[in-house]
Amino acid sequence: MSSQPSAELAIETSGLTKRFGERTALDGVDLRVPRGCAFGFLGPNGAGKTTMIRTLLGLTHASAGTMHLLGHPVPSERGQALQRVGAIVEEPRFHMHLSGRENLGVVAAARGPHAHELIGPSLARVGLSERAEEKVKRYSMGMRQRLGVARCLLADPMLLILDEPTNGLDPGGIQEFREMIRSMVEQEGRTVFISSHLLDEVEKTCDAAAIVDRGKVVTQGAMAELAAGGEERHELILGVDDVELALGVLDASDLVLEARRADEGLRVVLAGAQPTAAAVNAELVRGGVGVTRLEPVRQSLERRFLEITSRLDSPADAHEVLR
Amino acid sequence: MSATIAANMIGADFLKLRKKRGTLIWALVLALAPLLIFFIVRAAQHSSSPTANPAAGGVGGYTDALRLLAMFFGPLAAIMIGTDGGAGDIASGVFRDLVVTGRSRLALFAARVPAALALCWLVVGAGYLLTILGTYLFASGTPTPDGALLANGLGFALLSTGVVCAVAVGFASLTASRPAALTVLIGWHLVASPILASISSLGSTRKIVLSQAVAHFSPVSLGDRGPRGVTVAMGGGTALVVLALWLAALLALGAWRTRTMDA
Repeated sequence: MSSQPSAELAIETSGLTKRFGERTALDGVDLRVPRGCAFGFLGPNGAGKTTMIRTLLGLTHASAGTMHLLGHPVPSERGQALQRVGAIVEEPRFHMHLSGRENLGVVAAARGPHAHELIGPSLARVGLSERAEEKVKRYSMGMRQRLGVARCLLADPMLLILDEPTNGLDPGGIQEFREMIRSMVEQEGRTVFISSHLLDEVEKTCDAAAIVDRGKVVTQGAMAELAAGGEERHELILGVDDVELALGVLDASDLVLEARRADEGLRVVLAGAQPTAAAVNAELVRGGVGVTRLEPVRQSLERRFLEITSRLDSPADAHEVLR
Repeated sequence: MSATIAANMIGADFLKLRKKRGTLIWALVLALAPLLIFFIVRAAQHSSSPTANPAAGGVGGYTDALRLLAMFFGPLAAIMIGTDGGAGDIASGVFRDLVVTGRSRLALFAARVPAALALCWLVVGAGYLLTILGTYLFASGTPTPDGALLANGLGFALLSTGVVCAVAVGFASLTASRPAALTVLIGWHLVASPILASISSLGSTRKIVLSQAVAHFSPVSLGDRGPRGVTVAMGGGTALVVLALWLAALLALGAWRTRTMDA
């Protein structure tokens, strides 16, 4: 791969490898995170997500490979690269004996005078202005997460890297967090890189994702593509009054790739995009079939994730999935 | 890195230390309580039997109080503060967030030393004020130190505690563990140093004991037997070289570890 970074990528790695003694935590990772999106880095516990983040941020040294953050090679231009990067690695940590504002002041001192000016707005952005003078030891987990985000905002970040950001949050906090991420992406044009083992969370928050397992990026792409297994796949569940007649109509139709019985009725794979469903319905009605249910199947990232990670039980399987 | 950023980083490190109530209180207790007890007990003894017991204040009282502050309890306070300064960010987990700012790790380390020194010297300064207060309050008509001795005494107290504080910052950064650094340095200060200094068979090797090199700069006589054992005779140049070596070695090791450790 060329070592020239793409201007459209917020994160780009090539052959990134990290070994701890005999153990390989990252195994030749090639990752491409586009700018201006929420990108999920999805994998089971122990897959290498946090190691990846720590390596990207220079918290630990890579054993091999190259990486670029916001177009800057890391580690050679690490200082410049991180000027516009905010990150929470694992859980956000603070000096418990200092207030929220003082904790931000500590990091702002290292970032530079411009960061001091952002302390107030950052606290307001995460809704902590009124509690900013309280010691952090009195903060709830959710407040600490929000303070962690405020600390990231001191960089006025073009790229936010968040490691398991919803850990410990209650459902209301998760919802709030999700909305904040979406608004950062959609209204402020930031890139948000979220590592998580929570499939549902990534699916609801992110535009694109990579699935990582055992130190390897198994697949990456837009959410819909990932869920469909690399290609767009449109399916319907049909309820009909005459199954045999319906199967006959569907088998003869050019609009349908496959139709079969399923527990929930008939499972139909369409030859085209989702609007084809209306045409399929019309054909069934013309063929004398009464349609009682027509439901597009939402491709589940969870299903795809489990397929991939459960297939990686042997090296041969892993190779197969990567192909 | 600009001077403004450096000053802000030192200020931030100072804030972390100053607001750490446990460390600050213990450092103040170590710097003040022994002096307070010393003056009260000596004053009581003197008032009960003025001929048998010297005045608590005056030059004699000042000399003994300075020994306590500069050679014994002051360095303990310096160790408390220095180890917190060196390992505080790592212990709290904030070190990685500071690294993520992109600021050089050496700059992060460098900010710890002046911040710890500033707090250490404030605490020792308070102890020195108490020393002067007791010296004049309990002089009982005996001669009192002149301005030059007071200035030299202050310089000595700041030097002895400052060196120990900087060494503690370096050592705590090296171990990345405050409890470990605290244990080793207190053990070194209270036990190992006096024992090593008292083993005459070690000869001039004893000059490398930090407290012995520091004692060389005392403006008051520490006597044949210093406050914690034998004072090893050495020239001013040798004492300076020993201090410089201790500082250089521990600060370099602390900086190296800060630069290379996984955050």
